[in-house]
Amino acid sequence: MDLIEELKIFDDELIERLEKLSRNKLDYWDIRTAIKTGVTVEFTDNKSKELSTYQKENCGIRTFYNGGWGFLSIEDISRKSIELGFEKAIKLAILSESQTSTNYKIKERDPITYDFQLETKKDLENVDISDKIELVKNHEQIANQYNSQIKNTHSLYYDSITKNLFINSFGSKIYQKEPISRLFCVVYAQKNGLIQKSVNSIGGFGGFEVHDTQKAKNISLKSAKEAIELLDAKSPKGGKFTIIMDPELTGTFIHEAFGHAVEADHILNKESILVGRIGEKVALEEVTITDDPRIGIVRKTNLPYELFGSYMFDDEGVPSQKTKIIENGILKNYLHSLETASRMNENPNGHGRASSVSSYPQVRMGITVLNPGDWKLEDMIGEIKDGIFCESFQYGYTDPASGNFQFKCKLSYQIENGEKTKMMRDVSLSGMTLEILNKITAIGKEVDYSDGMCGKGGQRVRVCDGGPYIRVEDVTIGGLN
Amino acid sequence: MSNNFDPYRLVQKVLNLVEEKNINIKCSEAYLSMDEYLNVDIEENSIKYSKLGVENGISVRIFDKKGACGFAFTNKFQNKYLENMVQKAIKLMKGATPDIDFKNLPKKHKNYPNIKNIYDKNIKALEVEDASRYIEDLIEVCRNDKSAISQSADFKTNCSEVFILNSNGIDISRKETICSISSYIIAKDQETKETSFGYDWQAVRNIEELNAKKVAQNALKKAKRNLKRKRVRKMRVPLVLTPQGAISLILRPLSLAINAETFQYKRSFLVGHRGEKIGSKLMNIEDNGVIDGATGSSICDDEGIPNKNKKIIEKGKFLKYGLLHNSYTAAKEGIESTGNALRSSYSSPPGIGVNNFIFLSGDSFKQDIIKEISRGILLDYTGDSPNISTGDFSGLILQGNLIKNGEITHPLNETMVGINLFDLFNNISAVSKESKTYGKYSAPYIKVDNVNVIGSAP
Repeated sequence: MDLIEELKIFDDELIERLEKLSRNKLDYWDIRTAIKTGVTVEFTDNKSKELSTYQKENCGIRTFYNGGWGFLSIEDISRKSIELGFEKAIKLAILSESQTSTNYKIKERDPITYDFQLETKKDLENVDISDKIELVKNHEQIANQYNSQIKNTHSLYYDSITKNLFINSFGSKIYQKEPISRLFCVVYAQKNGLIQKSVNSIGGFGGFEVHDTQKAKNISLKSAKEAIELLDAKSPKGGKFTIIMDPELTGTFIHEAFGHAVEADHILNKESILVGRIGEKVALEEVTITDDPRIGIVRKTNLPYELFGSYMFDDEGVPSQKTKIIENGILKNYLHSLETASRMNENPNGHGRASSVSSYPQVRMGITVLNPGDWKLEDMIGEIKDGIFCESFQYGYTDPASGNFQFKCKLSYQIENGEKTKMMRDVSLSGMTLEILNKITAIGKEVDYSDGMCGKGGQRVRVCDGGPYIRVEDVTIGGLN
Repeated sequence: MSNNFDPYRLVQKVLNLVEEKNINIKCSEAYLSMDEYLNVDIEENSIKYSKLGVENGISVRIFDKKGACGFAFTNKFQNKYLENMVQKAIKLMKGATPDIDFKNLPKKHKNYPNIKNIYDKNIKALEVEDASRYIEDLIEVCRNDKSAISQSADFKTNCSEVFILNSNGIDISRKETICSISSYIIAKDQETKETSFGYDWQAVRNIEELNAKKVAQNALKKAKRNLKRKRVRKMRVPLVLTPQGAISLILRPLSLAINAETFQYKRSFLVGHRGEKIGSKLMNIEDNGVIDGATGSSICDDEGIPNKNKKIIEKGKFLKYGLLHNSYTAAKEGIESTGNALRSSYSSPPGIGVNNFIFLSGDSFKQDIIKEISRGILLDYTGDSPNISTGDFSGLILQGNLIKNGEITHPLNETMVGINLFDLFNNISAVSKESKTYGKYSAPYIKVDNVNVIGSAP
């Protein structure tokens, strides 16, 4: 493997030395090192607010002995500091082990050597900062000029290129170069003292070309249009309704209300409504849910770029792969890290992920999708007499132990006699996760994806959610009135 | 880090590099922070991770005469990286737009407050082994209770040092420690098999103030209090906010709404209400950055401006100068900064944040407040927060109970609260003597009359 200069110290000699230090002391170890550069361009009201750039190096050393983990985060990447850090980290694992009551081994895996460099059309490193500034400036102008009721605009672009090296005691050595970028457009509109806001974002794993797509070019206009429309939207009346969820809302529901409940660490910690339910029917037969972080990389999505949540290997050196979570209504698999898979006697499926090399991996989703059905949207709406068409996710929360959830949509429409009519704002949906999965009465044909940063235990990782339009009966809708 | 690492020399070096460039600039600032931390994480009521780490870094902000600004940072301290950082910041400054609202970086200050107990040398000297007595306390509380089935928890300490130097004469450093414990316990009802969580945490400057046992006991109490949940009907009743409930429904949203940046961009529901009465006379709020030993206290903010105490709301009146400023937003209004510049780390330019944000205690006893309610709701936790630009709140009660005939009874399922913050502020009818501090926020128990509760029981 031909490594970049800063990572060359991880040669056979150093690895052998680490092996020697850990012999008879550790069951497992891994070291992740990242050389990271990035840019932030932030504008508000057509003025630059933050223009920044950085260069960082970090290294995370993780050690394991019989159920106890040690973790040491360092910034000085030299042979000497890595050896010293490694010795300290060995002590941390032994200390954890001496106090833990959960003893187990990590199941041995075959070593992997891999050099992953994504092909991109416009390498983020070669795009001049002035082009990135220009991009944000343009979006600001579009949003600002849209309407005189727009009182404040805010656009944020950030990118980073992480050159990541992973080595572990199985003998794996994986290099991954990960370029990502994301753009947000926030617009505030005001009328008679009333303020409304709309946010849209687009992100991609790959080069600057993601910002050339039509979807990306439209996001400032979309935010501006929505903020203005929301000024005249009505608040909903509360009650139980048949609703349509758009792909973004479907995806987010699958991720937030359901996906977190199949993360195996939550299962082991009994923080999930799905403890011990593998093989049980938890949803209608039409429901199939998968997680596949490679779906973007092999261009199965027909998008000209890779999905934001894509990755080839997780942060424990396990290849990402397609995992069936629910198949035809039956709960099939949990999402695993090396640890949870070892303890539950399963194979790891590539979900051990960390926000950076300075944090240790947790069980996290990648690209979580509700598989499509065969309904056309107009037929789904056509059968609804009095319902609500819910679009775009604003935010939401779930109590994982009980399954109680509430979601807020950015905008919604009333459905009257099969037609989408008046726009509504601040519509919230609430209920119990599994009840919703059993009240779906139609699943649309086409899947769309949205991207996000998912937070758990203080760490944020990039993810995508996807799904088609779905129709759900008897959902509790709340609003202020 | 090598032993001859001298942070003060590094910030000077960066400003010298800027000066050597001999370009036409207005002012510049170097900011360096060093953090050393220790974490012990518990999962499944057993130790899982012991973690140590450092986070050191330096950043530079450079402004030209028209207010255009470039910012860059790195965690590498060798000359070539610092040189590169300065060059990049200058390049960005040249690509930035002019800003007539930018006046200058802060000028030299002479008098910094003397605040006691914000640095604990015992935390600096702490070894991972020393954490075990706190961990054992946490684990024991969960192990000794039949209905507690699991616990995730952590113990964290952090020692930080910050150096701020600017070309206008700000030259200050500060040293602080913080340590915290959090506990998340899952309880299961033996009969109904229903589960619930309870969460509590504590953050302090001095390790001797940590009480792991109490944190876990509170989490357990909350988890158990939320079992055998029932739906309720729609009603209009008094709402009692616990300190945690008051922080999430009143203090956090208010701290965002009085952030001068949010305010100046007209994103706050309080725009147009400065100097007006916005709530009940029982409402008194201040942001005090100079309380001895408090986690939000410092000698100075993240631009080097001395901390102080600021009154925000007095007897329900939103004071004319009740906004929180950094030097930029203050200059825009032609006033002095309130010392609320806040950076999440060296890697971000200063935004605005609270010091110690406090809803001052009242004169009722918590027991008496509850006792006088024939039918009402106790709200401890909602995953939701109000909309800052409209003040509207409608959220699910994730931890809350029905109050009946003066007593706290069963917890709630699928129950929502909907209210605008102006109504909430005006309907405050009692404030307790007892109060609780969570990190930078302190609040008492607060009774709000006439609140719309949307239950889903038929």
